[in-house]
This record gives sequence, structure tokens and C-alpha cells, in this order.
Amino acid sequence: MADRSASAGRIPAPGLSRRALLAASAAALPLLVTACRGIQVLGTPPPPPADVRTLQSAIAAEEAMIARYAAALKQLAPGSTSYRTIDVAPYASARAVQAEHMAHLAQLKSRLIEPPGIRPSTYAPPANPSATSRPTSTPSPSATSSSTGATGPRGVLGELELAEQNASDRLIAELGELPPSLAQLFASIAASEATHVEYLRAARQGR
Amino acid sequence: MTSASRQGTGSQQVLAALQTALAAEQAASYGYGVVGARLPQGSAKQGTATADWVAHLRAADKLTAMISARGGKPVPAAVAYQLPDPVQTATEATALAALLEDRVAQAYLGIVALPESGLRNFGAQEVRAAALRAAAWRGSTQAFPGLPTDSLRTAGDTPPDSATNAAP
Repeated sequence: MADRSASAGRIPAPGLSRRALLAASAAALPLLVTACRGIQVLGTPPPPPADVRTLQSAIAAEEAMIARYAAALKQLAPGSTSYRTIDVAPYASARAVQAEHMAHLAQLKSRLIEPPGIRPSTYAPPANPSATSRPTSTPSPSATSSSTGATGPRGVLGELELAEQNASDRLIAELGELPPSLAQLFASIAASEATHVEYLRAARQGR
Repeated sequence: MTSASRQGTGSQQVLAALQTALAAEQAASYGYGVVGARLPQGSAKQGTATADWVAHLRAADKLTAMISARGGKPVPAAVAYQLPDPVQTATEATALAALLEDRVAQAYLGIVALPESGLRNFGAQEVRAAALRAAAWRGSTQAFPGLPTDSLRTAGDTPPDSATNAAP
């Protein structure tokens, strides 16, 4: 009995031929495919809000700054061609400041809640004419090297000072519509970057 | 909440933030008196302390004017302030100066949190000025001037007002 009822379940309903079932399946296929495409068929997702774009831009800029320091540290390292004096101060100073930029980056990233599947490094920085004073995308190592084309530790530190000042000014200019807590973080990082200018200048001048 | 009451609440927030910054400036002005007294007479550091003391007096005057202009009553400075630690040496005086600047920076971050863009910018400029003075006294920089350590996020935290990049 059990065998008979099980096999009865596989028998097509009366009146539906095998050909009709196949035709119905073929007709349902496009609907199935559309459903699998999910939200994409509803249109292009809206662009992120302004505060998200500002935060993404700040993250990209911080990544670029860290890359800039990595290139500078190669030039400042003892044994490099530009390193002519026995003085570790420029290297140690740049390394200490780079560590603070890494802390900035970690805090900025912690403020961004992202949907699954999006990697922060894939963000394209927003087109913002006022942002031209600071690189907003992670440069390639070669591009970074060329941006620190200064010769000698003093020249390298001088370029970093300029980049830090621009970074500080830009963060303050972007406070506009940010949520209060994020605005405070931007202001604090801007203040930190301003202190980097003086710190690097002191190292450059041997103070 | 009506538009008028919302405006009133916003105005109260502005006044509260300005009063907090004013109190920090007044405390710093008092503290620099102690700092200057403990540094070697006629030294470069004492000169710096004098310049910073004047900067805080001026900042307090500016905040007083801003509070009055918004219809508030500036809270007067106290006669004396409790110092966090005894200050007997030049090293302790230098540490106190850095601490005073940290507290001033933290107070101005309250102004940065206000919605008015002009005040935000003003607050951010003052945070930067305080951080520069603190770094000069300390001889080193800080990653997050003015921000209390416990306000910084660690991995896994979900902050209340993060920028959320998620589809609505």
C-alpha cells in the first residue's frame, strides 16, 4: 500500500498532458529568472547621502595620506639614497605621525556602516572641486613616490607638512552637514593634523 | 514639538555649549597663572605661558560677547579653581598647561556638535588652536585632541549617528 500511494503521488493530475506541463514550465522560466535578479530590476540604487560621501572621501584621503607616509619613510630610511646624515629624527617623526593617521583611519572606518559585499577600498571619491588640495583616492606606489619627489629628509618632511596642512583645512571645511558626533571626530582629526605640521617642522629644523 | 519651541531648545543648546567653553577658558586663564609662576623667571617657556594666558583671556572675552549677543548671561569666573595635581616644579607646570589645553579643546568640541555651520567652524578652529598649544607644551602630538578616550569606537561598536551607507 505504501508503495502504491508513493507512486500515485508522481502521476500527473488527470487532464494535464506531459506536453502541457513542459509548456507551462517554459513559460514560468522568465519569471523565475527575474525573481533571481532581485532588487536590480527595480532600478539603480540611489546615491549615498551627503554625509556618507563626505565620510567615504575622508577615508580615501586618510588612506592616501598613509600611503604618502609609506613612500616618505622609504626615502627617509637609513641607507636610502636621500639619507645622508646619521640622524634618525626625521624617520622616527614620520613613523610616529603615520601611526596616528592609521588611528584616524580606523576611527573613520568605524563610523561607516556598509551593506554587505562592498569593500571600502572600492569607493570612488566624490567629484568635489574643493577637494583638489588633497588626494582623495589611494595612489599607486609610483604615484606616491613621484608626489614626494623632494630630495633629502628636509624636502620630504616639507612636503608632508604641506599635505598635513591641506588635510586639516579640508576636514574643517567639510564639517557642514555631518552628524554631531562625526563632526566632532572630523574636528579632532583636523586638529591632530595641524599639530603634525608643527611636529614635522620641528623635526625638519632639527629642534 | 512646535517650530518655536524647537528654536528655543536649539538656542538653549547653543548657550549651554558657549557657557561650557567659557568656563574652560576661565579655568585655563587661572591655570596659566599657576603655570607661569612655576616656570623659570624670564625663560622662553614663561614667555610662551604668558602669550597663551593672554590668548585664553581674549577667547573668554569673545565667548562672553557671543553669549550676550544671544540673550544669555555669561557665567562669571570663579575666584579660584581646584588644580588636578599639586604644581611645584617646572615639569609639573608644563604638564598642567598641556592638560588645560586638552580641556579647552574638549569644551570647544561641544560647539562643533551644534548644527549652525558658523559656530561649528569657530569651534573647530579653537579646537585646533588648543591642540597646537597642547602639542607645544607636551612636545608630542595626539591622534584625537579633545576627544575622551571612551568616546572612541572599537571594532564591533555601532555608533548612534554613524553615516549609514545602506539602501533605504
